[in-house]
Amino acid sequence: MIRRLIAVLIFFACAGWLPAQEFKLFDRTVQVHGFASQGFIHTDDNNWLTMYTSNIGSGEFTDLGANASTQITDSFRIGAQIYDRNLGHLGKWHPSLDWAYAQYKFKPWLGIRGGKVKTVMGLYNDTQDLDFLHTFALLPQSVYPIDLRDTTIAHEGGDIFGDIHLGNRPGTLSYTAFAGHRQDSQYGGYAYLLTNQGMTFDGIGGLQYGGDLRWATPLKGLLMGISRMNQDMSLKGAVNMPGIGSVAIRLNDMSDWTNQYYGQYSWKKLVVDAEYRRYYMLMGSNGVPSAEEDIRGWYLAGSYQIAKRVQLGSYYSRYWISFPIAYVGQPPATGHDYDKVVTGRVDLNRFMNIKVEGHFMDGYGLPNLYPNGFYTGVNPLGLKPNTIALVVKTGFNF
Amino acid sequence: MMKRRIQMKSFHVMFVALILASTLAWAGSVKVIANSSVSASAVSSDELKSVFLEEKNSLADGSHVEPVLAKGGAVHEAFVKQYLDKSDAALQTYYRSLVFTGKGSMPKAVGSDAEMVSYVAKTKGAIGYVSPEASAEGVKTLEVK
Repeated sequence: MIRRLIAVLIFFACAGWLPAQEFKLFDRTVQVHGFASQGFIHTDDNNWLTMYTSNIGSGEFTDLGANASTQITDSFRIGAQIYDRNLGHLGKWHPSLDWAYAQYKFKPWLGIRGGKVKTVMGLYNDTQDLDFLHTFALLPQSVYPIDLRDTTIAHEGGDIFGDIHLGNRPGTLSYTAFAGHRQDSQYGGYAYLLTNQGMTFDGIGGLQYGGDLRWATPLKGLLMGISRMNQDMSLKGAVNMPGIGSVAIRLNDMSDWTNQYYGQYSWKKLVVDAEYRRYYMLMGSNGVPSAEEDIRGWYLAGSYQIAKRVQLGSYYSRYWISFPIAYVGQPPATGHDYDKVVTGRVDLNRFMNIKVEGHFMDGYGLPNLYPNGFYTGVNPLGLKPNTIALVVKTGFNF
Repeated sequence: MMKRRIQMKSFHVMFVALILASTLAWAGSVKVIANSSVSASAVSSDELKSVFLEEKNSLADGSHVEPVLAKGGAVHEAFVKQYLDKSDAALQTYYRSLVFTGKGSMPKAVGSDAEMVSYVAKTKGAIGYVSPEASAEGVKTLEVK
């Protein structure tokens, strides 16, 4: 473990000096870029994010990606990115196609893209894996849970998008409308939760469609937006019934939507973000509901660049979860997780950074019912009400 | 009383002069240059911003354009702040978010005024910026309206 960490750190130290690569192919310039990050988490009591963090800590917190893209004509570009991660019991080094699409811009206010496309939703949904873009080592988990990235990160389908300049006074409106198919990885939070409860997980997938509308207001630095996503998912798997054996189950969405509202204000070296997300899902089979989830989260974050290469940040993130109808005849349940966070980020150069972050959490959601950071699989003796976590993360990009 | 009023007046005049001087210095701190294939002789500041933020890759007259950045320095800082309304760090974050979501490319970046002029001169559609004193031989200077 220690040897692996040292190897990763040496790799980062060498790779930090890699310049972005470009080469010519059929007279077109192809750019190649990549990134990687390595984290370490120590918690006082509860194990977090499917890692055994509460003893010495865990360094099973690595991700990396690489892409190639080219501009075929002034209006047409293509590209693709692969992504891989290992986060405790999630990811498990199974690479995936992160995005791969063709994009055509007719006008600045009208473009289309098709293929596997990152889903634009809220301030950071499509860039949540890109550690080097953010002050924080972990984005607020109430809105961007790292163990559930599969559920919102991308869709196989298309977008219609554009920027509408309303003039100097009203500002700029940017829109994205999307539709496509989502398929969760076998190595995501849902799969881990359900397999830990003895279920065979075959997959969650289905139709996803929605849109995002954001307004760069005439007040310099102020952005406001709203996103909506509807889903029509199916969960397939099997459960072992005593005396009967394995019984196949299939649950379908009866109602499944997400609303997100957000704002960002940048002034000189200060950035303030706030977002609210509500996720509602009613699932069942043959029209009979068997689970109803209502999840509401918000955060308020601020970061300030105190020196050319140093940023300080803090956020408060609140998450409530309610199961008016819980699975397999369990009683209704509610849970929460409130997280106070402080962070320091140092950019060693343009390509490498290191972050140190403290989390002070109250609550642990509903570990038996919904995947959100805390799982009974790595906490077999139960969970304590509060958790303090130290996160150290370094990353590079080229 | 009279003496104090004169002192206040002098202070106001000096203050306004200082503001004017710094504004003029700011406006004259960057020269925008383009490859000779760009037919326009002037661009609006909105158009320039759209080109450098990769929202547009042609000008109103239809000329193909591509932005070229300086790697750093006072001229770069002034250009980014004056025309793009961003700090260098925010601009780099912006480009990286485009590159890693597939929506854009990282613009070419050069290390000096001489390198900028040389690259813009030989690259069709290139638009860059240099200090006002830099030689613009082989490129055209664009007026920013």
